[in-house]
Amino acid sequence: MFRAGSRRTHDKGPAAEALRLVKVTKTYGSHDSAVTALDGVTLGLGRGTFTAVMGPSGSGKTTLLHCAAGLDRPDSGIVRVDGTELTGGGEAELTKFRRGRIGFVFQQYNLLETLTVAQNTVLPLKLAGQRVDRQRAKEVLASVGLGDRLGHRPDQLSGGQRQRVAIARALVTEPRVIFADEPTGALDTRSAREVLRLLQQAVRVHGRTLVMVTHDPVAASYADSVLFLADGRLAGRLDAPTPDAVAERLAHLGDNVAMGV
Amino acid sequence: MLAMRSIRHRPGRFLATLLCAFLGAAIIMTFNSMHDTAAQDGVDSTSSETLSTAAGVVGGYGTLLVFFAVASALTVNVRQRTAELTLLRCSGATPAQLKRMVVGEAVVVGLVGAVLAIGPAMLGGRALLEVFQDSGQVAGSVDHSFGPIALMTGIDITLLASAGAAFLAVRRATRGHEKRGGARRFLAYAALVAGAVSASSTFVFSATDAALMAPPAYGAILLSVGFALMAPRLLEGVLDRLRLSGASGWLAVRNLRERAGQPAGILMSLILFTAVATATLTMQAVESDAVEASGLTKSVDAKNLETLNFTVVGIIVVFVCVMLVNSLYAATSYRGREFGQQRLAGATPGQVLGAVGTETAILTVTGVLFGVLAALAGIVPFTVVRSDGVLPGAVYGIGAAVVAIGAAVTLGTSLVTARRVLRTPAVGAVAVAS
Repeated sequence: MFRAGSRRTHDKGPAAEALRLVKVTKTYGSHDSAVTALDGVTLGLGRGTFTAVMGPSGSGKTTLLHCAAGLDRPDSGIVRVDGTELTGGGEAELTKFRRGRIGFVFQQYNLLETLTVAQNTVLPLKLAGQRVDRQRAKEVLASVGLGDRLGHRPDQLSGGQRQRVAIARALVTEPRVIFADEPTGALDTRSAREVLRLLQQAVRVHGRTLVMVTHDPVAASYADSVLFLADGRLAGRLDAPTPDAVAERLAHLGDNVAMGV
Repeated sequence: MLAMRSIRHRPGRFLATLLCAFLGAAIIMTFNSMHDTAAQDGVDSTSSETLSTAAGVVGGYGTLLVFFAVASALTVNVRQRTAELTLLRCSGATPAQLKRMVVGEAVVVGLVGAVLAIGPAMLGGRALLEVFQDSGQVAGSVDHSFGPIALMTGIDITLLASAGAAFLAVRRATRGHEKRGGARRFLAYAALVAGAVSASSTFVFSATDAALMAPPAYGAILLSVGFALMAPRLLEGVLDRLRLSGASGWLAVRNLRERAGQPAGILMSLILFTAVATATLTMQAVESDAVEASGLTKSVDAKNLETLNFTVVGIIVVFVCVMLVNSLYAATSYRGREFGQQRLAGATPGQVLGAVGTETAILTVTGVLFGVLAALAGIVPFTVVRSDGVLPGAVYGIGAAVVAIGAAVTLGTSLVTARRVLRTPAVGAVAVAS
């Protein structure tokens, strides 16, 4: 099913490049009302990098994230996660591909209301049929500052705390790439800072690769580099970003035509 | 004003309510047309008595069932529209206006249902009369008449039941959760004690008493009502003893435990359905066997009782099926977001379906178990007194059929609905259905 080998190869050790997209195209709608969300995007992200993806509404950044994370299938092009190519198949096959390779942090947390903090954290392991290491789950939750909230339910937590549970859940399976979709979009500035620091830690301390879609220049400044997207194409890159530089670039995004990366 | 518009733009949502009102009105009119038929000139007294008894008993049952079925459908309907009702409240609608809207909708839907039911009820009444005539309970010369009693009671009862049920549903929705655990527990124990007393009082009667079937039948029904009222606690007890392996089972047990309120409603319908259907049909079978064995022919009264038993069970089965399908469909279709979250956390569609299936299977087994228990409490005393045995052979076949219907309806509805819900991509399901 997967061209570049099975899970066994993947478990031997991570590939040098955590994520690779080659000429990825995605179009929504049919003939007359067709909208090209992604127009031949090619990019590569090294292991242990923290990349922010920015662009105005409708620039295709969410589509990029969905295609790269195996939530959606591109019309054409190649997506390779940790050296393994994402190919066709049903939802079940995509799900199995994502397990162990990809972790998610969403704007709306997407924690299950019926499960406690600890249960939510180990859910991906349970679903993948892996042995649940409770001690490890506790450690991860303690590392995001929720060691004393194990038995709480999501509705007993603040937004920032819920997002930290989501980060713990993404970390516990030790995925190759973590995708964060506007992770601070629903948070106040203080909680947002904490969440961003934790995401940074996931990269610096745990060696994860992180891709974050955001429209907030301050959030983007926590990343190592920022990729700009406009009209479904890459429109520039900024390393060691500051909030001001990001905002400046974003404001003039329409001026410079696709530069490629 | 609001009521008419909201119906015109979303007729689909009122389908379940309409179906309940239609079925209820059809049954009430069909049986109450027997009153009209009996009131005609030249009907002999035996025929007239048979017709009036049938109309009285089933008409009464029908009224209760319409009320419960419409109430259940409307409660689901109001729960689904919490967002819409909140929006209306935020745009300046007073609670009284909302109440008027929901009650108004229910009355309109009830009226449509009742009017639609007139035709089928006329045909049904004619067919029912033929059944009575074929079995010799009513003289062949009696003509069917669909008169003012059938029409008036049918429409009035349906409208009243719809309005009353809507009133209760919207009041419950706007008031929020109220815990009345004490009263409920008292009622449950009262029903259980009364049921046990009624079932054991069967032994006081002799085998040939005409009223022999009443105490065990009431006993079984009361016991099942008691179990139904205790449904949340019974479910908890079952879940405590359950050890399920696998991610789907793990999720299923946790979901049931946390959403105890909704599953309990489904459990209630299942217990009542299983108990009433199994008890009534089995006792009727035992009675028929006993009469046959004694070599006597059935009296008109006995035949009336048999017809009524079958009719009542038939009506209950149809209504409970409609209620189960409606509430399960609503409960499952509104879990799109939850399913989406499970899928994003790494669950395959198969695992989600597995969890839903396990949940429903636990509910079905629990409901059927306690339903059969209540039914046996009535069947065993009756069989001991009426014949020589303890457990009649008929109970296996009837029980299996009832259980099969219950399981097919619950599992079928929730799995088919869940499959449809899963067609929405996970990301979309999480975003839209918030």
